[in-house]
Amino acid sequence: MAEQEEQPLTASGTPTSGPSRTGRAVALARLLHSECTDLLRLYKERETFLSNHTPDGGRMVSLSPEVEEPSAEEQVQLLHSALRQCLGLLHCVILKEEEEWGQLEGDYETMKKTVRARLEHLLFSTKDLVETEGTTLEVTPDHQCNEEVDGAGGVFSLKMWTYRVLLELIHWADHAAQTLHVLHKEREGTGEI
Amino acid sequence: MRCSSISPASKPNCRLWLICVLSIWALNADAKIVLTVPHEVSLSPNTHTQQLSMSWLGGDAATFDVIILRTEFNETVFYDTVSATVNPMSGRHQWNWTSVEPLECTSLSIKIRSRDGQTTSEWSNTEILQGKDVPSEINFQMYPQDRIVPVGTNTTFCCIVEEGTEFAGMNYSSTVMKVKRLSRRTYASTVVNQKASGRTGTNVVCSSKYKQSLTGAVVFVGYPPQPTDFVCETYDLVSAVCRWKEGRNTYLHGKRVTRYSVNKRDCPKEGSNKCSFSQWDGNWTLVAVNPLGHSSLTDSAEISHRVCPVAPVDLGAVVHAWDATVMWKWTYKYSLPLVCQVELTNSGYNTKLIFTGVGLQSVVLSNLLPYEDYDLQVRCGAQKNFWKWGNWSDVFTFRTKSSAPDAPDVWMWMNRDNTGLVVWKPLTRLQSHGLIKRYKVTLCDPKEEQTCIKSLPPGTCSVPVNLTQLASFRSDNKVVATVTAENDAGVSQPAIIRLHLTDVEPPTLSRAVYTDNSFPLVWQHQANVTCSYVVEWHDATCSHDCHVEWIKVAAGSTNITVESDNFQPGVRYNFSLYSCPYDSPQKKQCWQGYMQELTPSRPVPLSVTQEGSSVVLTWGEIPLVDRRGFLLGYNVYSNNGFKLTLLANLSDPGARKFKVQGLSASSYKFTVKAYTSAGEDTGSTVSIMLERNIYQLILEMLLSLGGISIFLIIVTIICYKKRKWVKKAFYPDIPEPKLPGDWSRTQGPLNVKPSHHSLVHIVERPDQDSKEALVVIPEQDEDDDGYGIGDEPVDTDEPHSLRYYNHVVDERPIRPRFPDSSASSSSSMDSAHTDVTYTGIQTSGTSLVFQLDPQGSSEGHHPQVDQGVHCGAGGDYQPQMHPMASNIDTSLASPDPFLESQASNCGGYKPQNSWHLDSPTEACERSSLAPSLGSPTSVASTQFLLPDGEECGEEKRQLSSASTWFTNLLSSTKP
Repeated sequence: MAEQEEQPLTASGTPTSGPSRTGRAVALARLLHSECTDLLRLYKERETFLSNHTPDGGRMVSLSPEVEEPSAEEQVQLLHSALRQCLGLLHCVILKEEEEWGQLEGDYETMKKTVRARLEHLLFSTKDLVETEGTTLEVTPDHQCNEEVDGAGGVFSLKMWTYRVLLELIHWADHAAQTLHVLHKEREGTGEI
Repeated sequence: MRCSSISPASKPNCRLWLICVLSIWALNADAKIVLTVPHEVSLSPNTHTQQLSMSWLGGDAATFDVIILRTEFNETVFYDTVSATVNPMSGRHQWNWTSVEPLECTSLSIKIRSRDGQTTSEWSNTEILQGKDVPSEINFQMYPQDRIVPVGTNTTFCCIVEEGTEFAGMNYSSTVMKVKRLSRRTYASTVVNQKASGRTGTNVVCSSKYKQSLTGAVVFVGYPPQPTDFVCETYDLVSAVCRWKEGRNTYLHGKRVTRYSVNKRDCPKEGSNKCSFSQWDGNWTLVAVNPLGHSSLTDSAEISHRVCPVAPVDLGAVVHAWDATVMWKWTYKYSLPLVCQVELTNSGYNTKLIFTGVGLQSVVLSNLLPYEDYDLQVRCGAQKNFWKWGNWSDVFTFRTKSSAPDAPDVWMWMNRDNTGLVVWKPLTRLQSHGLIKRYKVTLCDPKEEQTCIKSLPPGTCSVPVNLTQLASFRSDNKVVATVTAENDAGVSQPAIIRLHLTDVEPPTLSRAVYTDNSFPLVWQHQANVTCSYVVEWHDATCSHDCHVEWIKVAAGSTNITVESDNFQPGVRYNFSLYSCPYDSPQKKQCWQGYMQELTPSRPVPLSVTQEGSSVVLTWGEIPLVDRRGFLLGYNVYSNNGFKLTLLANLSDPGARKFKVQGLSASSYKFTVKAYTSAGEDTGSTVSIMLERNIYQLILEMLLSLGGISIFLIIVTIICYKKRKWVKKAFYPDIPEPKLPGDWSRTQGPLNVKPSHHSLVHIVERPDQDSKEALVVIPEQDEDDDGYGIGDEPVDTDEPHSLRYYNHVVDERPIRPRFPDSSASSSSSMDSAHTDVTYTGIQTSGTSLVFQLDPQGSSEGHHPQVDQGVHCGAGGDYQPQMHPMASNIDTSLASPDPFLESQASNCGGYKPQNSWHLDSPTEACERSSLAPSLGSPTSVASTQFLLPDGEECGEEKRQLSSASTWFTNLLSSTKP
C-alpha cells in the first residue's frame, strides 16, 4: 500500500527517461487495477453482506466500436472513453456517499481518492498516447451524477450501486492494462514492461 | 300471573296489555333497521408511518366494527370496535390504524360495520389496500426502506421475493432473522430492542434461492438530539457568538445529522457547534432537530456580563537584568476595566501574575533573574462582572540582561606538606548572572605586602597553593586566599578563605550513618562558637590534594544533612566540622561513614605456621580502600575443598591470628574471611601439611626406652634382692635321690636310651587347619584297656603318644634333665633303662603332658596322657619333693597358675625349671635325632618348634649363653 501511494499522481505527460510511455501507461493501468481491487476489498469490509455476492446485470459502462476490428490505437481511444465514464461513476459515488454519510475518514475514503487520482492520471496517459490532430480526447468525468441509482433509490440501493461501480472500475482497469499492453507490444515490439 | 288471576270479566284488559307489548316490540324492530351500513369507504395509507387512514359514510352510529384481513391468506390482522370521529365538513367517519408491518408488505382487506350497542349493521363492502406483492410488482423488494428509529425500538421488516424464486432468508446485520410468511411472496420479521447503528446504518438483507439475488434495506438507529451548555458571549462588546455542546451522540450522520438553529437562524452543519451574530440580542434560543426528534435550549444575558476579551496581540518587552516591562495590543478597543493574567515560564517552572487596569496594555515584571530566558503569555477578562478569561496570547520569549555574578563558595584542602588547594564551587546558572569569563584567585602575604593573582578559565574550580614560601605562613600561619568570578556585567564580591593546616585531630571520631539519601550529622551546641560552620567531606582513602566537598552551616546550628550526588557505595567518607571556617577555622568534630557498606573487595593476606600439633593462622590488614565497609570481624573456616566449616567467629576487627589446636598429622586448608555489615569477602585460603616433630618422636622413643630400662633395672634389683625367693620359686634344689644301700656307687653309668614310647604323634586332620582346633587327644583306648590293646589296633611297637590334629609337633622325646646333672647324665639318653625318666610336652601353654616310663621297657610302657588319669594312677615314680617347693609353687605367681596348681596337686615330681630357653635346643636335637640327653629330665618344653637347623643352631648358641648367664646368676645365689 505504501509503495503504491508513493507512485506519482501528477497528470503531467512530460516525457521522462526510463520505460516508454506505453510501458508507463501499462504499469499505471496495472497499478490502478490493484488499487481498485483494494478499494473493493475495503468496501466489502465495511459492507459485509457483499462479501459473497456477485451482482447480476450487465456492464454499467459499455462500448460500441464503430468499426468491427479496431486497431490498437482505436481500442485505446475506446478505452479512454470508458475510463472517462468510470471516472464519472467514481465521482458520483464520492458525491453520493458524502451526501449520505457526511465527511468520513478511513482507509476506504483514502483509497477512493487515490483511485480517482490514479484514474485521472491514466486518462492523461491514454490521451497522450492516442490523441492525434484529428481527435481530441477529454479527461473530464463523463457522468452527470444526476441519475437515480439502481432500485428504489434507498440507501441500500446506493450501496449496491456503489458495489457495482467498484466492480466496474476493476473490470475497466484490467481491460486498460490489457489494451495498453497490446499497444505497447505494437509500438515497442516487446511485451516486457 | 296477574292475568291468570283475574276473572273472565277482565279479559278485555289483558288484551290491551298484550297489544301494548306488541306495539313496543314493533317499534324496536323499526329502530334496528335504522343502523346504516358504512359505505364509500376510503383508504389512505401512509407508508412512512405505516398508518392507514380510513373514512366512510355511515349514518349516526358512534362506534364501528373494523376488521382488517391479509387478503391472500385471509388472516385477521385487526378486528375491534372503534370510535370514529366525524368530519363535520364532509360528514365522513374517520379512523386511523397503525400497522406493525409496513403497509407495502401485502394486500389488506378492510370491512366496517356500524355498531350501536349490540346492534350492528351489515358489513361494508371490502376495500383492499394493494400491497407490493401483487403479481404486477415482480421485483425483489424489502420494506421499510431507510427507516430511522430510536434506540431500543422494534421494527418489522418484510421481504417480497421475486416471482418465480423462493425465499432463502433474512439477516439483520449479521444476525439471521426468524421470519413469518404473510403472503405467497411476502415474509416478515421483527427486530426487537435495536442497538445504535453505525455511520452507514444497519443493513437488513433478504436473499432468494436459485438466482442468489439480494435485496435489502438500511435502518438507522439512533437518538434524538440533546445539546448542552448553550451560551452566548461577546468578544468585541458588539457582536455575539453562541456555543453549545452536542451532548449525547445521536449516531445519525450525513442526511440524518442534527441541524441546529439559534433564534431561527440556521447554524453551520456538523462540527462547529457555534453560531455568530453581528449584534447582541439578550435572548437566545437554540433548536436542535434530527429525524428522531428535537430539543431546544435558551440563554439570556446582558452584554456586559458576557465579555470575553480576545487574545492580546503584538506582545513586546523592555528588558533589564532584574525586571522587564511587557506590552501588547488589542484587536478591539476595550474601554472597560480588565484583569489580566501573565504566565511566566522559566526553566520549566511557571508563575502566574495578575494585573488590572482599564484597557490594560502593559505590565511591569519584577524579581526576574539576570540572564534568564522567559516565556510569557497574557490573557484577560472583564474585571467587573467577570465572565471568563479570554484566550491566551501567543507565547512571547525574552531574555533578561546579565549582572555581576555572586561570590563563589570557597574552601580549601591543605596537605601535610603545607601545599594544598583552594577550591570553590562552580557558579550555577542562577549564580552566574551571565556567562562567566574567568575566575581570579588572589593569595595575600601581608608580611611581604605582595599579592599573587591568578586568572583561571570558567571551568576551573580549584587552584594549587604552596604556603611554604610565604613569609606570613611561616610566621603566624596567616595567609588569605580570595576568589572572584567575572562575567560581562562585572566582577563578583570576593570570597575570602584563610588557609590553615588540617592535621589537628579532633577530639572524637564518630560514625555517620547514611539515612534517607543523606548523612545526618549532629553535634553539641558550643556556646563559645558564635560564627558559622562548615562541614567538609572527602574520600577517607585520599590523603593528598583530595577532592573535597563542603557545605556551609549557619551559626548556632547543631545538625546538618549532607547530601551529594558524588557519594559512592563502598567508599568511606570523612566528615569534618569546622567552626569559624573563614577567619580562624578549627576542626570540632569528625565522622566517618559509608553511603552503603559492601563486602571487602580484597581478602586478608593470610599465612599459616605449624606449632607442634597446632596451626597458627596469621593475617594482615585489608587496605582501607578495599574494606568497603567497617570491618566487624573475621570468620575462620576449615576448608575441605567442598565445604567450609566455621571454626571461629572473631568479632574483634583487630584480630590478626588464630590458633587451631589438636590437629593430627595431615593436610589442612583454612579460609579466613573478613566481614562487614554487607557480608563476607571472598576469603583467603591457606593449606598446610602437618608433620610429626622428629625430635619429639625421638624424645618419646628415648623416654619409652628409658622407662623400660628403669623398669628392668628395678625388676633386676628386686630379683637380686629376692634372689633366694626367686631361686626357691623358680630354681629349687633338686634333692639327691636316697637309695637304700650304696648302689649308686657301684652301679655303672646309666644307659639312658630314649624311649620309643616317649613320642608324640602328630596327626594331621585335613579338615581343620586352625590352631584353635588344636586338641589334645588322650589315647584313652589304651588307658581303658589297661595294658591291652583297644578296639583300634595299635601297633605296640609305636611309642605312646599324644596326637595333635592339624598341627605338626615334633616327635622329639621329652627329656627330663638336671641343669647341674652329673656326668652320668650325659649319656642317659642312650639308655631306656633309666630309673627315673620324665618326659613331657608343653604346647604353647595349653597343655603339659608328662610321659612316664617307670618300667623302662617298651613292653611295660603305658602311655599316661591325661593328668587326671595320670594322677589317679598314682604314678609309678614319686620323686622326693621338697615340702617348701610345693608351697612356693602354689603361692607364687605363675604365668599359668591353673596348670601349675594341677601339677602341684598331682603331688608328682616338680621340675626345678620350666624355661623355654631349652626348647629350641631340644627341637633342634629332635630334628637331628641326636638323643644326647642321658640325665633325668625335669622339664621338657616344645614351645619352640623351629624347623631350621641353622637358626636353631644360632639361637642355640644365644640361648646357651643366656642360660649360662642366668644359670650362673642363680648359681651364685646358692649357698
